[in-house]
Amino acid sequence: MTTKPDLKTWKDIPVGGVVESGTSEYFHTGGWRSKVPVWQKQNCIQCMTCWAFCPDNAIKVVDGPKGKERGEFDYDFCKGCGICPEECPQNNKITKELKAKDANLKISPSTGTGTPGFDEKAAILFVGLKEAKDKFNIK
Amino acid sequence: MEKTIAAKTGNEAMAEAMRQINPDVCAAYPITPATEIMQIFAGFVNDGKVKTNLITVESEHSAMSACVGSAASGARTMTATSSQGLALMHEILFIASGIRLPIVMADVNRALSAPINIHCDHSDTMAERDSGWIQIFSENSQEAYDSMLQANRIAEHKDVITPVMVTTDGFIISHGMERLEMYPDAEVQKFVGEYKGPYNVLDVDHPITVGSIVLTDYYLEYKKAQHEAMKAAKRVILEVGKEFGKTFGREYGLIETYKTDDADFIVIAMGSTAGTAKAAIEELRLEGIKAGLLKIRVFRPFPAEEIAAVLAKAKAVAVLDRCESMSNQAGPVATEVKAGLYDAGVKVPLASYIYGLGGREIYIEDIKNVYRELKAIADGKSKPEQAKYIGLKA
Repeated sequence: MTTKPDLKTWKDIPVGGVVESGTSEYFHTGGWRSKVPVWQKQNCIQCMTCWAFCPDNAIKVVDGPKGKERGEFDYDFCKGCGICPEECPQNNKITKELKAKDANLKISPSTGTGTPGFDEKAAILFVGLKEAKDKFNIK
Repeated sequence: MEKTIAAKTGNEAMAEAMRQINPDVCAAYPITPATEIMQIFAGFVNDGKVKTNLITVESEHSAMSACVGSAASGARTMTATSSQGLALMHEILFIASGIRLPIVMADVNRALSAPINIHCDHSDTMAERDSGWIQIFSENSQEAYDSMLQANRIAEHKDVITPVMVTTDGFIISHGMERLEMYPDAEVQKFVGEYKGPYNVLDVDHPITVGSIVLTDYYLEYKKAQHEAMKAAKRVILEVGKEFGKTFGREYGLIETYKTDDADFIVIAMGSTAGTAKAAIEELRLEGIKAGLLKIRVFRPFPAEEIAAVLAKAKAVAVLDRCESMSNQAGPVATEVKAGLYDAGVKVPLASYIYGLGGREIYIEDIKNVYRELKAIADGKSKPEQAKYIGLKA
């Protein structure tokens, strides 16, 4: 486990700015986010597809009653890329159902949020920063 | 110590120095007039005289990139280049100095294109003066050899950890055969010492990140650390030069002065022209003109205080620049000398000259004429001119 470097002056910088490994932990890239994924646990089938696809390990794995299972997003590192709602099988299933009902519906598993009938069944919503804050209390 | 006297060109002298240093890695790409250095060195590799891993690459950009990779993984690393090759390395030179890799380069000064030209001037090296490399100029093969043997010690010193380029003047030194005093291999190796790099990216037990992004919060501090290393380099260059003198009999400093103690008129020059100036001074002294020479050996870090101290008592000074910086003011050496004089509060009439571009010959008579112009300035008969071309067809 690395310790967070406490740099204050130019004298504290290691020669050549070399850094020990694991320091990306202290660089909270979640601040880059312009859209926010919201996990709806009640709709999640625990397939772990989102975990496998997440490019930044921003989906936590926790201990559940039957072993390891999906936990909350790690919003310190989630950059809001939208891959998890797009790949989510539950989101894909509901998108297909809605499109079957309405051939003109132009949505994808990651853009379906807000479409009537979508949010109730989707496992991962994908919302704007303001909505995330106001509706889901995610900063 | 038994010294070997040999007839060697500047390129041979530099290759011999590299053989004695026996670096872990060399990555290079051939370019006139530096080609021979690596060509001769490749022979040493082939004949098993060195244990160096010689990497032949497809360009100078790749050569310096390979040097960066090699030095970052804890290997003593050297290369050689010139002119367009040095210019192609430009991007990576800043990376090598920025991530503090003590690479040593043999650099043969040659004019930059256009027009394309293979002969000596200092425009290639001057174009890299802000790259964060230490720059050492040589008057002859002996100095090139001696400075190469000191370069690793300077570059690798814990207070410096900055790359060094040692330069010769293209063809004039690189291909000019001269008397060279060489020191025994074992003595050289003892002087240069074992390599201990600043860090090792291949040390799997201590994983590190090299070359990480540093943004607005610490870039400034990063540069200040380099700035201070360059300041420390002045002291270390003097220490190493002194120790070299004790060991091998020839001491080196940041500058060399020739008959400046009582000189009314001082010319500042770098590289092979310093030798021509010394000959001019000998002749002028017979005429009763008190002429002296200040040779700048180390251009980076720039020895501003040392230069100002020498010039303080002169009646007039001339700076010879073998490089055009197209500033409308003067060449790069003159500009830096003037800045140093301003800081030191020394106000001396200073004329600046541009000479020798693209290998144009400079003669003893040309330099004598510069001294005569300095005398006219001191006598109030003329005013100092800036960036005056010597030997121009006009």
